[in-house]
Order: sequence, then structure tokens, then C-alpha cells
Amino acid sequence: MDILHNLAFGFGHALTLQNLMFCAIGCTVGTLVGLLPGLGPLATISLLLPLTFSIPTSGALIMLAGIYYGAQYGDSVSAITMKIPHASSIVACIDGYQMTLKGKTGLALFTAGVSSFIGGTVAILVLAALAPALGEVALKFGPADYTALMLFGFVCVSFVTTGSLIDGLALCMVGVLLGQIGTDVNSGVQRYTLGLPFLIDGVSLISIALGCFGIAEITKNVDSHEERTPFMGKIHLMPTWPEFKRIIPSALRGSAIGSFLGILPGGGPVIAQFAAYAIDRKVSKYKDEIGHGAIEGVAGQAAADEAAARTSFIPLMSIGIPENAVMALMMGAFIIKGIQPGPNMIAQHPDLFWGLVASMWIGNCFLLFLNVPMVRYLLSIFKIPYVVLFPSILFFCCIGTYSVNNSFEDVFVTATFGFIGYIFLRLALDPAPLMLGFILGPMLEENFRRSLLLSRGSFTVFVTRPIAGTLFALIALLVLWQLAVFLRQVRNGRTQAVPAG
Amino acid sequence: MAAMNNRNLVKGLFLIAIALAFGGGALRYNIGHLERVGPGFFPLMVSSLLFVLGAVMVLRSRFMERAPIYFNVKNVLIIMASLVGFALLSEHVNMTCGIVFLVFVSTLAGTTYSVRRNAIVAAVLLAIAFIFQKGLGLQLPLY
Repeated sequence: MDILHNLAFGFGHALTLQNLMFCAIGCTVGTLVGLLPGLGPLATISLLLPLTFSIPTSGALIMLAGIYYGAQYGDSVSAITMKIPHASSIVACIDGYQMTLKGKTGLALFTAGVSSFIGGTVAILVLAALAPALGEVALKFGPADYTALMLFGFVCVSFVTTGSLIDGLALCMVGVLLGQIGTDVNSGVQRYTLGLPFLIDGVSLISIALGCFGIAEITKNVDSHEERTPFMGKIHLMPTWPEFKRIIPSALRGSAIGSFLGILPGGGPVIAQFAAYAIDRKVSKYKDEIGHGAIEGVAGQAAADEAAARTSFIPLMSIGIPENAVMALMMGAFIIKGIQPGPNMIAQHPDLFWGLVASMWIGNCFLLFLNVPMVRYLLSIFKIPYVVLFPSILFFCCIGTYSVNNSFEDVFVTATFGFIGYIFLRLALDPAPLMLGFILGPMLEENFRRSLLLSRGSFTVFVTRPIAGTLFALIALLVLWQLAVFLRQVRNGRTQAVPAG
Repeated sequence: MAAMNNRNLVKGLFLIAIALAFGGGALRYNIGHLERVGPGFFPLMVSSLLFVLGAVMVLRSRFMERAPIYFNVKNVLIIMASLVGFALLSEHVNMTCGIVFLVFVSTLAGTTYSVRRNAIVAAVLLAIAFIFQKGLGLQLPLY
């Protein structure tokens, strides 16, 4: 078996003492930072990204992936115990928090941990089987197809993450424009540098991520003036056998849904959770209990969450196009380490690729055997008041930005993006698509210009090539559908105001 | 200002402003022609698209219920000032001053203010910075 052979090869790389350590550190620190209110996976990863700079490449990638799913798990813990909804764990708030109210916090946390493990394991098998095959398909893509694929990704992400196509699309465009700052690779012209020498190489990824997701979120949280009451209840982790048996079918269903939705453009953990939860409510044996603190309500969504988080690596590593904002940030991190994700990554760096896949499973084990039993200690981070926490987070944002280039000018850039990000948040614009636009912007321009060059200035190339043509047709369909929905709403009277974000 | 009570309108106007800033900039670069596009072509195209999206939002806001904007000018200014002060002090004096400034100024935005608590936070953060410098080899100009 090819897959087994490859996986064994990967485990050989991941199971060195050093890589195991990086994996464990990543998972634990990721969980801890992910627990903090207002810091979702995007902010957590960007905050911890500078830590990986001085680490060898394979260790750094393993640690980053660990941070990502650690943050994901941390999110669901704070959702279950205190109903702190992050963008990535809204569903866990429903049944998970209901279980806490019933005094079954430990059971909910255990269920989430075990289901994540099941979801992760299924997704890794899917990843190992599918990524290399998809990589071969990606080699057939021309520049016009890549252009179409990226635009399709923008449309899907806008649709899924913000719920409003034009809001999300506008933010993608802002991101693309920010990606234009710096030297144009084709002509050598310096664009939008405002004569500032530190902008010649462009705005750093860390500045945008920490500004828009770290500082902006913190400022917004400071405004709300609420102190969280720390969770003080007892945590009894081990379930009884009948309880344990209820986890399995729901978790397996969630894994399948999550693995599938994780691969699609614009897909990812959030939409997978909602889908898994909705399906559990329809088909589960205990569907009447869901919504009132049922095990299935936690198990299905946690498995889907974890599975989608893993399979969303597939488009990134096989085609080279990130499908959501978190993967865009991952791609930025890969590039900083000198690895260009894409069809060539699996061929040129099989040790990195298979090592990463194997380390994902090892990370799952760490989460299950280290973080789940340790959860009660991790939760003590909430005993720190926010007035102490937020200056510390600001400090880490500053140190993180500074240590990229050892330059304080970058701190000014980060502060500027913190301000802009705050405006976006207050205008109820989710800045996540901006990240995707920023990372894909330069690639989009490169592929767009190359397709025009190849077609001698004719736009027909975007319609006549089968892959590009199909994708553009899908984009047109989605746009038309949104327009129709809006027009119908207008005809039925004024549309409902969007709830304040 | 009446517009300030209409989040959907301001949203559109803000995006139009960004589009105009980048679009105006793009005109200063060589646009080129379709067969060989210049450095200004792509940003001009993207900012035109952003302009259209912003205009659609402005139009759409006429059909939507008004939503108020909550914008805490004081807090965001305090936090920006603490970051800028951190960078300036760290660059021209040293990072120890910068960290102390960051902690004491940023906490002005919090609900309560305590000099003693801030002193402890600053001391702990300094210790962490020192560990980063010695242990992880970060080039922090602490003194």
C-alpha cells in the first residue's frame, strides 16, 4: 500500500524527539492562547508565528499546525465552559454550554476531545489519500485557471465567512490592494510605498495579521468592559460506557461531513460544524435532546470541526491555493520558511509533507492525552483579570512584529492596521477575507498578467479554457443568486438590519 | 452628523475612500495596454471593482434599516498612543522604557487603574522579554 508506506515514512520524520517536542509545545501553547477571549485561531497563529522563526523548517511547520488545532480546541473549551463564542466555535456554545449548566462540563470536554480525535484521524487518512492525487491534477492548471480558481475562492469565502457576498468581496479586494504595496516584480516599479524605505518589500504578513486580528479585537474587547467570571465548577472527565457509546456514531458522521466540507473552496471548520450539527438534529437517535445539552450535539460538531481543519490543508498543499483565511496565514508562514506550497511541495519535500501529515495525528494524541486531562489547569488563565491580560497581549503583539525584521517601523505599521481593523470591526465588516486577499493578491496579479500575455491581450482566455470557464460560470451564478435574493427582500419590504457585530 | 448613525452607509463610503486612494495612486504608474499591462493596470482594475462594491453598499443602505455605529474614540486612541510610544521609546531610549510606557498607558483604557498592579505587570513582562532575549535569541534592545 502506497499510503501506508508514505505514512510510515512520515512517522519516521515526525517521531524524532525534537519534532515531538515542537508538536507538544505547539498544541499546548495554542490551546492556552486559544482559550483567551477574543483571540481566535487567526490571532493565535499570528501571535505565535514569530516563535517559529528560529526553529528548523520541518519543526516549525509541525509546531504551526499544532498551534492551529490547539487553538481550535482551546476555542471549544472556552465555548463549553463559559459560552464565549469565537467565530470558530459558535456551535459548541449551544449544547456544550447546556451540558455545563447541567453540571456535565467534564463529559462535554471529554466528548469534544474524543470526537476531535476521531475526526482528525479520519481526515488524515483522507488527506494522505487525496492530496497527492489532487496535486497531479493541479499540474494541468494554466495561469488563467489559477486566476479563476482564486476569484472563485474569494467569492466562496465571502459567502461563507461573512454571509454577505459584497461585504466579503470588498474586504478581499482591500486585501489584494494591500498586497500591491511594495516593489512590482515585473517592472521593478515601487508601488504605494509613500517614499518610505521600509515599505519597499511590502507590508509584512505579521503586521496585517496582528493588527487586524490581534490589536483590533483587543481594542474592541476593552470597549465592552465586561469581566468574565472564571469557571469554578468541578470537572469529572471520564464518561460511563453507555455515554461513551453515544459519542461514536455522531462523531463518525461529523468526521465524514467535516472531511468533505473542509476540502471545498471557502469551506473549513465553521461551516462544517453547522452542517454536522444540522444533520445530527435530523438523523440522530437522540435528536429530541439536541439543543438541551446532548452528547451528540457536542460530538458531531467537534469531529466535523477537527476533520475540516485538517482537510482544509489539502487545497493548500496540493494546488497551492489556500481556501480560507487561516490557510492563507499558514501559506504565508510556509513561504517565510522558504517552502512554496503547491503541487511541487509533495514531490520536492516529501519529508516535510508526510512528516506534517503524521505529526497531525501525533498532535491529536497530544490533545487527547495531554490537554484534555490538563484542561482544569489551563482554565485558570481566566482568573487573570482582563486589565492585566490586554497590556500583556499588546506586548506580545509588539515583540512579535518587531522580531520579524528587528525593526520598530513594523510596529507602526501594525498599529496602523490595528486602527483600520478596529474601524472594520465597528462597521460590522469581518476582516478575515482581507487576509486571503492579501496573500493571494500578488499571485492573482502574476497569473492574471501572465494569462493576458499568453493570450495576447484577449480576455476570452478566461472563458474558453474549460476549467477557467466553468469556474467563472459558477461565480456568475452565485452573484446572480445573491442579487435575486436581495431584490426579493427589497420587494418584501425593508430588509432586516444585520445584528451588531 | 446624520451619516454617523447609518453603519451601512459609512461602510460603503469608507470602502469608496480606500478605492479612491489606491485607484488615484494607480494612475500615477504606467497602465500599459492589454497585450503588455503595466504596473498600474492591476491595482486600477481592483480599485475600480472595490469602488463599484462600495457604491453598491451605499445604494443598498437606502433599503436597509439604519444601524448605529459604536466607536470608542478614547480607547482606540489610548491603545494606538501606547503602541506608538512603545516603538518610539524602544528605538530612541531602550525597550525597558518602552514596555513600562506600554503597560502604564494602555491600561488607561481599562475599567480600573492601579499603579501597583501595572508595576507588577511591567516587571513580569520585562522578565519575559529578558527570557526571550537570552533563551530564544531574539534581538531585543532591552538596555
